[in-house]
Amino acid sequence: MAPSAEPAAELSHLPKADGSATFSYGGYSVVAAVNGPVEAQRRDENAFEALVDVIVRPAAGVGGTRERQLESLLQAALRQLIPVRDYPRCVIQITLQVAETPENAYVNTKLVQASLNLPIIPALLHAAILAILTAAIPLKAIAAATVIAIPDDNTDVIVDPTAVEADRARSLHVLSFTSQDELLLSESEGSFTIDEWTKILELGQRICCQHQQPGLDTAMAGGSHESRSIKEFIRSVIEAKTADDLYWK
Amino acid sequence: MAPTAGLTRATFAKLSPHPYLLANLEPSSDDVPPARSNGRAPNEVRPPTVNSSSLSHAHGSAVVRMGDTTVICGVRGETILTSNIPSFRASNNETELREYDLLVPNIELATGCAPQFLPGGPPTTLAQTLSTRIYSLLHSSKVINPDNLRIWHTGAEGMTANEDRMEDDAPDAIEGEKVVAAYWVLYIDIFFISFDGNPFDAAWAATMAALRDTKLPRAWYDADREMVISSRKESIPITITNIPIACTAVVFTGKETDRPSVDGKFWMLVDPDRLEESLCDESVTIVVDCKDGDTRILSISKHGGTVLTPTLLTSKQFLSWAGKRWEEFNLAIVQP
Repeated sequence: MAPSAEPAAELSHLPKADGSATFSYGGYSVVAAVNGPVEAQRRDENAFEALVDVIVRPAAGVGGTRERQLESLLQAALRQLIPVRDYPRCVIQITLQVAETPENAYVNTKLVQASLNLPIIPALLHAAILAILTAAIPLKAIAAATVIAIPDDNTDVIVDPTAVEADRARSLHVLSFTSQDELLLSESEGSFTIDEWTKILELGQRICCQHQQPGLDTAMAGGSHESRSIKEFIRSVIEAKTADDLYWK
Repeated sequence: MAPTAGLTRATFAKLSPHPYLLANLEPSSDDVPPARSNGRAPNEVRPPTVNSSSLSHAHGSAVVRMGDTTVICGVRGETILTSNIPSFRASNNETELREYDLLVPNIELATGCAPQFLPGGPPTTLAQTLSTRIYSLLHSSKVINPDNLRIWHTGAEGMTANEDRMEDDAPDAIEGEKVVAAYWVLYIDIFFISFDGNPFDAAWAATMAALRDTKLPRAWYDADREMVISSRKESIPITITNIPIACTAVVFTGKETDRPSVDGKFWMLVDPDRLEESLCDESVTIVVDCKDGDTRILSISKHGGTVLTPTLLTSKQFLSWAGKRWEEFNLAIVQP
């Protein structure tokens, strides 16, 4: 898939899971399955709130330390979106299977990699949110995430960089904002200045919260028109799905 | 503390930790200064102490202590011949550290360093997450110059590449030409002796202090024996010019729920201890390098909540706190 392709989603395609979704964008494709809220095992149960259990499986091989890191990030983020206090002694299990990742033909791919994998976070988050919505688990807000790279040669920042661009970037940032315009998650690596950090935060907020300021699209840095508002996308696919489900009436 | 309450401090803390920390931060009487339950002000850190070269068998080591969090880090070098690296390309001098896995950090949260770590079982999620973050930061911050890990070999006079060679994958040492014959691989083992919150800051500071202390033996490639020989007497220190420092803070909203408090009140507790970490959802870690006066950010990781706004994360107060912490740690690491 070309990295600039439109986001695509398929909903409720796994018959056994309570909720499921496949989200693909920018060369990434993630299958998410949600089960819950179901009764938690005795040793996991929390008398006051639901346990959110996130499992990330890589496209090849078994999960390693980097998957644990992604799981802990997503768990912390999704816990803020799900009203966990409404489901005491329950567990909501979210399984994310990575189906496709964009390849960087310039480097040798290693099966087991220990370093952080920031560009995959938006795909995982969006797939998880779509699957939670199809499982009819209420959410306090939805979240949209984006990846921004600052290239090494000090040209304009790149929104949704390709695998090669992400690899060569001086710094890489993942930002996620909720639908209430709050900063939910922010992960950055590489080397950058305070000014750049301020600009990245502003740009990230504009991209993730696009619908409120439609006029600003043209003012954004190069390539950003590719990044269609994910929030609008999630809303439209869920609307279409709901309309479909109610068709028999 | 209310004098009428029939509970001791310890009982109160154990029964209801949230109201306990809140009562400390918001004392009911005006003559008690607000403080965290550990007695520190919200923006008060635990002063770090660093003791390097404490392990005799490692090439470099350091113990870092911040309050009751104590970490020991040992660095040990091993050599690997380039002929034994499957993906070796002589022209690659940019991504060699990452591609050949020349830095191998590992974190162990020892049994007994805190009550939640039990013997047996696989490494906890925390240990795995920490080791991924340390690994990533070691590479992305570029603190280690790959040249320190290269072992060079100059082809002997009067010998050509295809002459006198039993195997053709031995380093091609053409007359007088310098080639990389082998690499040092650094095994960085981080061990928590005592764990009282803020593991990443302590582990990263210990890694930096140990790397700064690392002296690798002088090594050379012996073409006749086709192996790397290292000297017992001479050693060369690794050059670490920049010492980036990680600074962590957690956000306490005063409520047990995951919902932010109604009046929007919150406390940013820097350098949290174990109790505070267990009561707070949101945390932020910033890694800064303020060498020569200009601040560079090497990593920011904020997750678990929505209280910290972009304005707060770019505020002077937040960044100057990180700068101060950098100075404090650098002083502790450089001086001992």
